[in-house]
Amino acid sequence: MSKMIRIRELTKDIPKEVRMITDQMLKDLENAKRPTLEAIKCSLDNSYYDPKVGFLTPGDKKVTTELNVSSVQKMARMVFLMEILLTKLETGSVATKREIYYIAKGEVKSNKILKPLDFDDQVESDAIIDYICDLLEVYREEMNCFANDRGGQTYSQHLVVTETMADGEKATIDLSTLGTAPFQPKNRPQSLKLKTKGKVDFCLVVESEGTANTLVANGMTKRHKCIVVGAQGVPSNAVRGWVKSIQTQLDVPIFFFGDLDAYTLQNIYRTLKAGSAASLIRNSDFSAPEVRFLGVLPEDVRKYDLHCYQVRENDAKEGRSLKKAKDALKNDPFFQDKKNKKLADVLNWLIKEKLRCEQQSFYSVNPKDPHICEKIIVDKIKRKSFI
Amino acid sequence: MAKTTITSSSTAEYFAKNLQQVGFSSPTKAVLTTLKEAVDNALDACEEEDILPSILIEIRKVGTGGSKNTDLIEVIVEDNGPGLDPEMLPKVFGEYLASSKFGRGRCTRGQQGIGISAATTWAQLTNASGVLVTSKTSKMRKAQRAQIDVDIKGNKGLMKNKEMIDWDKKHGTRVEFRIDGRIQLNGDGGLLTYIEGTTLVNPHLELTYKLLDSDAVKIPRVSDSVPEIPAATLPHPHTMKLGEFITHAGIYGKITLSKFLKTGFSRVSDANIKEFVNNKLPKGLLEKSLTQIGEGDFKKIYQAIQATDLQSPSTRSVLTVGEEALSKSIMRLGDIDFFSVVARKPTICDFKPVVIEVALARFQTRGSEDSQVQLLRFANRVPLQFDKGACAITKAIESVNWRSYGLQQPKNSLPLGPYVFAVSMVSPFIKFKNASKETIDASDELVEEIRLALMRAGQKLSRHINREKKADDLERKIQHIEQFGPILVEKLAQLAHASDTRKKKAEAGLEKILGRDSKAAEKDLSEADSRLKALKEKMRARGIIGEIDENGDEHAEEDGETHV
Repeated sequence: MSKMIRIRELTKDIPKEVRMITDQMLKDLENAKRPTLEAIKCSLDNSYYDPKVGFLTPGDKKVTTELNVSSVQKMARMVFLMEILLTKLETGSVATKREIYYIAKGEVKSNKILKPLDFDDQVESDAIIDYICDLLEVYREEMNCFANDRGGQTYSQHLVVTETMADGEKATIDLSTLGTAPFQPKNRPQSLKLKTKGKVDFCLVVESEGTANTLVANGMTKRHKCIVVGAQGVPSNAVRGWVKSIQTQLDVPIFFFGDLDAYTLQNIYRTLKAGSAASLIRNSDFSAPEVRFLGVLPEDVRKYDLHCYQVRENDAKEGRSLKKAKDALKNDPFFQDKKNKKLADVLNWLIKEKLRCEQQSFYSVNPKDPHICEKIIVDKIKRKSFI
Repeated sequence: MAKTTITSSSTAEYFAKNLQQVGFSSPTKAVLTTLKEAVDNALDACEEEDILPSILIEIRKVGTGGSKNTDLIEVIVEDNGPGLDPEMLPKVFGEYLASSKFGRGRCTRGQQGIGISAATTWAQLTNASGVLVTSKTSKMRKAQRAQIDVDIKGNKGLMKNKEMIDWDKKHGTRVEFRIDGRIQLNGDGGLLTYIEGTTLVNPHLELTYKLLDSDAVKIPRVSDSVPEIPAATLPHPHTMKLGEFITHAGIYGKITLSKFLKTGFSRVSDANIKEFVNNKLPKGLLEKSLTQIGEGDFKKIYQAIQATDLQSPSTRSVLTVGEEALSKSIMRLGDIDFFSVVARKPTICDFKPVVIEVALARFQTRGSEDSQVQLLRFANRVPLQFDKGACAITKAIESVNWRSYGLQQPKNSLPLGPYVFAVSMVSPFIKFKNASKETIDASDELVEEIRLALMRAGQKLSRHINREKKADDLERKIQHIEQFGPILVEKLAQLAHASDTRKKKAEAGLEKILGRDSKAAEKDLSEADSRLKALKEKMRARGIIGEIDENGDEHAEEDGETHV
């Protein structure tokens, strides 16, 4: 068995933990007692935000599953997938959730007795995998189940990455030698060691991968000592872990540059900075609390007279986004904390004005200048125009 | 001043120009309306003479219609009614407003004497000849056969091609129309829907029908008693407006007010008259002659009567199908899982006596879970098949929250599922929205009355649905235990590296635990069963058979077993 790359110092012996849980369940059954499982409740009503900690942490609420005729299917499926995941751990092989779904289907196909456990859809097997992780309080990656590596394309003339491979060998990547190609951290950014060639002034995480690419293609990384990362929408675990690594390993201010709308603030920026309610047990390693929101800010809209779109409340998607913003102000501990009052003010502004402004609108400030977006970004950092 | 000539037209002339107002607005509706008018007349005639109706319907294409996109359709309706004397034939089939029922305040299907003459007119206008009638009374040796046309200018029936023929029937009438039209069998406006509806609300009807090239279908009767058409009773004072009240008094002439109140109305007694006085009817007027009472006093009298609670109008003035007959009749529509019927007591809505009856049934072979329920609407036992959206019955159904009875229902719509919702309104005076009598006017009072009947029927229905859900629940639970229990133990034993002995012990433990759960579900089911059984006992006590087995077959009363 080859040694797996570790995300954190895990004190838990997962196979032993699984054995203990299953042994206890079996004992309960032997005594005709209903086995009961307890997992952390991963939801907003069990999320806490302490600005000193910087990310959402779980409260005391637990989800209790007791064996009865309604839960027997869930429990049977859980031990079935536990066995598959344990095999992955023992053999050191990895798989995505989709692959686990198909492995489970294959097992069912080869063993008729297991037929009732068959999953109709990946959503069903995903829910069980997440439940197992919540139950064991481990990351999915620690069960050798990895997500895809969407986003995180990184450009810099000053960043050098050293990757420790599973067999212990090391590979060094100097990003300045990659030409126009980006470096991508893949789905195990924790296995990467970072260092810089000289002092780096800032790291810019850009919501749109296209805009990140434009900034770099127009020479931003050549003119400034910086790191540019494309988030590609809602940050994947890879992007979240990667930005966290930049924060912890490099002494460099990190800024997020994205659209001015409720979706970006809540779903993209908040997840990058403080994690999410659905991943309460992993936020400590998958959030970068020091990231600052560079914009687009309402003050930029005013200063540069940026083009905005009216948010139509009767449009299903946009209406939902506005409603979510209102809910966030009411229920999300991140936006309720006074340390993030300025971000809450932005949400209030969006709800009141019913406007949204895209990050690309910076290019309208001087249509003839291809570097205008870069200039505004650098100027904003210099003027400390961020939250 | 410009000269204008004012002319008057005959009633027949008016209707000949406005046939769309009485149901002949399209070729499809023309066929249905012709059939409907002929069947209505046949049923009314049989019931008048206390004859159990046996009706034959034949409808076929016999050629191409004279107008564009139509066929020449033959509609034949034959009954075993009392028959008509030969001299009555032109009056009945060729003269407008020549009705024996006009304004009599009875719950007959026909009221004004327009429908069948309009059908004759349609045949005459589209095929140049009226209706071919064969009729024989029990006193006649041979039957009279003749063509009846409408003299449109004079509003008279014309009898042509008369002949006396041998007819093996003792008595009866046969009408044959040849009209331009188109045939629609299914859907809201379909002929089959009409036939089903007519069958449902006429349990005493034996019907044989042959549509197009299909084989003849015979539907036997399920009741051997002819509904007694109530005699026209005296009007109820609460059913009148002030103007009607004064006109009514005019008919009685010189009698005293107290005598007029007692003899001119139903439900008015001496005790009631005392209450009128308590409610500000000037006592001095009671012994005054009606001719000496002025309009102002009539208003006071009228107001005092309206302010007094009176017994509901006589149930004898409205005719009901009855829960028992409805429940038998609904079985004729197909294989039923279960049904519920409700007949409300007569009440007053909009100053008119009204009875609402509802039958809800779930069918095994009709409709689907995600299609709207099939709605059958009836007014005085005549199916209403068009313009359902504006009808009081539709509005009442949409206003009920059917989800609480276990049915699916999109917002403000008819519920979904393989159900037939039959709602019948019977009243001597139904307020329709149009002359073609397709839509009942939706007054708030009437909608509320229908709604109450529907809710009661919904509650009964929900006991069946709940029981079914509990049975499903139990089945699902038992299935879960059988399917997942062994796998759970097997996998747990594998992961915990447990011995076979432990595994067997755990299996026994699991069975005990899940057995307790299924016992609880069984208890729920048996409680639901008891509730349903109690409902059925109640229904049986009221003469309604509610025993249907899984195949939808009706059980004999003595069976005593509840199957749903």
